Amino acid sequence: MINKETKKFLNKLLLYILVIFIAFYMLFPFWWAVVSSFKNEAQLQMVPATFLPRDPVTNKIFFDLKNYRSIFNDGTFLRGLLNSTIVATSVTLLALAVGSFSAFALGKLRFKGKNASLYIILAMTMFPQVTVLTGLYAVINALRLPAMASMILSYMLFTLPFTTWVLTSFFKELPVELMQSAQVDGATPFQSFKYILLPLTAPALVTTGLLAFIAAWNEYLFALTFTSIEPSARTIPVAIALFTGAVSRQEPFGEIMAAAVIVTIPIIILVLYFQKRIVAGLTAGAVKG
Amino acid sequence: MGKFKKTLAEREQILAYKLLFPSFLIMLLIAAYPLFNVFYTSFTNKRFASTVKTKVIGLKNYQKLLSVTIKKLENENQSSREVLPKKPIRYKELKRFNIGNTHYVIGASDPDFLISVGNTIYFTLWSVLLELIIGLIIALVVNSNFKGKGPMRAIMLVPWAVITVVSARIWEWMFKANRTGLFNTVISNLGLGDGQASFLTDQALQLPAIIAVDVWKTAPFMALLLLAGLQTIPTSLYEAARVDGAGPIRQFFSITLPLLKPTIAVALIFRTLDALRAFDVFQVLLADRRYSMASYNYTQLIKYKNMGMASAIGVIIFIIIFGFAIGYIKFLGVDAND
Repeated sequence: MINKETKKFLNKLLLYILVIFIAFYMLFPFWWAVVSSFKNEAQLQMVPATFLPRDPVTNKIFFDLKNYRSIFNDGTFLRGLLNSTIVATSVTLLALAVGSFSAFALGKLRFKGKNASLYIILAMTMFPQVTVLTGLYAVINALRLPAMASMILSYMLFTLPFTTWVLTSFFKELPVELMQSAQVDGATPFQSFKYILLPLTAPALVTTGLLAFIAAWNEYLFALTFTSIEPSARTIPVAIALFTGAVSRQEPFGEIMAAAVIVTIPIIILVLYFQKRIVAGLTAGAVKG
Repeated sequence: MGKFKKTLAEREQILAYKLLFPSFLIMLLIAAYPLFNVFYTSFTNKRFASTVKTKVIGLKNYQKLLSVTIKKLENENQSSREVLPKKPIRYKELKRFNIGNTHYVIGASDPDFLISVGNTIYFTLWSVLLELIIGLIIALVVNSNFKGKGPMRAIMLVPWAVITVVSARIWEWMFKANRTGLFNTVISNLGLGDGQASFLTDQALQLPAIIAVDVWKTAPFMALLLLAGLQTIPTSLYEAARVDGAGPIRQFFSITLPLLKPTIAVALIFRTLDALRAFDVFQVLLADRRYSMASYNYTQLIKYKNMGMASAIGVIIFIIIFGFAIGYIKFLGVDAND
């Protein structure tokens, strides 16, 4: 019979082993990107591959910063970072605002055509992007929208159904008593949404917001199409995809990896900043009361 | 009192429509025409970026994509070209099989498309299943109390944060068929192989490789959604269960899993939808070596300029996705009215 102390210790140990294992699994490809980003052409071609950047001749550890220098000297990369930030932030805010309105209606209000609305919103996102591209392009042209606005609107095709559905499931989870007691106190349904339910879904809003932000930050095909005649609006995935090597026809793998590292850092900072909100646990208290 | 109640219900209904208005306006603006356009174009022979006049050809695109036939072969080695019909449409060999001593061949007028459907469904089932399991484990671990759980929550999102196209390139780089690649270096260092495994050209390794990339990339998406779901479960329930003497496994199956069901359902729906439309990973890693439905669609449009055909593929993908979505919704019971 194991006593309580040992059992507790073993549980803790098991947890930390799992944590380390997960961290390793999540990070090893990224670590490989970081290592590769510090290698020059000769170092990238070494056989066998080295787990840290090494000099091909002396085999000493040697970090080459050339890839980073070249992406920062390239104006399109920094411009792309700025464009992506603007586009992804606007998409997230718009999708959250519009999505949370719909989600409140779908999750908490009684009205005719509720299921149909839910399915129509979902059906928006059921076509492959390639297929809707030409039709969407025609719409954007007819509306005479600039590239940035085109991207923001067209990304709604996948972010709006997502935010609406996830938030709906969270609104449904909130106890009805909360709204009822607010209404007894004289609040209109909209007031109880704005002042009581919405703050309670803050963790869900932050979570879906982050996921939507990253999805928009990642999007490639629409961005490539809509910025084809307006290169100054290119987002970061397009800018990276259009990198050309210093040596002609050679793929600039090192530079692509350096760019990957640079564009992932803002997201990590964003997550670190918001992670407390993600797990605010606000609802746990509200349900009891 | 009765009258008051009715007006309240009416007001609720009006409020609901007002709240839904912005969503529907956006959909009308950006989705209505493109979606209608896909349906219409799928019944035509429209060419992409061409001046050739478009004609309505009815169901011909669908017929070309979906026609299948089975013919008997005289012996195992007979060429399928001898038995498969050539008119009105030409059939090519899709697969051979035998029942007892009789050999058969399945012919399809577009075997590449049907293979791409098979690839996509195989890919979807495996990657979504693995993502759910790994995502759930990660969410449960990150949800428990330990030192450094803040940074861990950021680490857990790294794969999802790496741009899809770029992460496909990172994996392409790791999958190199010689020892400049990470996997082959590790495999040969461990003495498990000759360091020449070609993950992306060997037929048997292609789908597992691509599933590995997708699971790594999107397990965080699942994990974060499930974590948010776990947060809404009141801790008091676990305290009560502990008082009643329920162990962690019992708690997981009788509290966590049932209360997490709506979140799991939504996460499954969106991951499945995404996997069925998988494009970037297939296009970057396998290109013309092996298609997903969406990358085959892309090839038809960009390489062969068959816009009518590409639209028909889009509609078929839509129908398959719709089927999956309805299946999930019915099976997991996430309808709005409950």
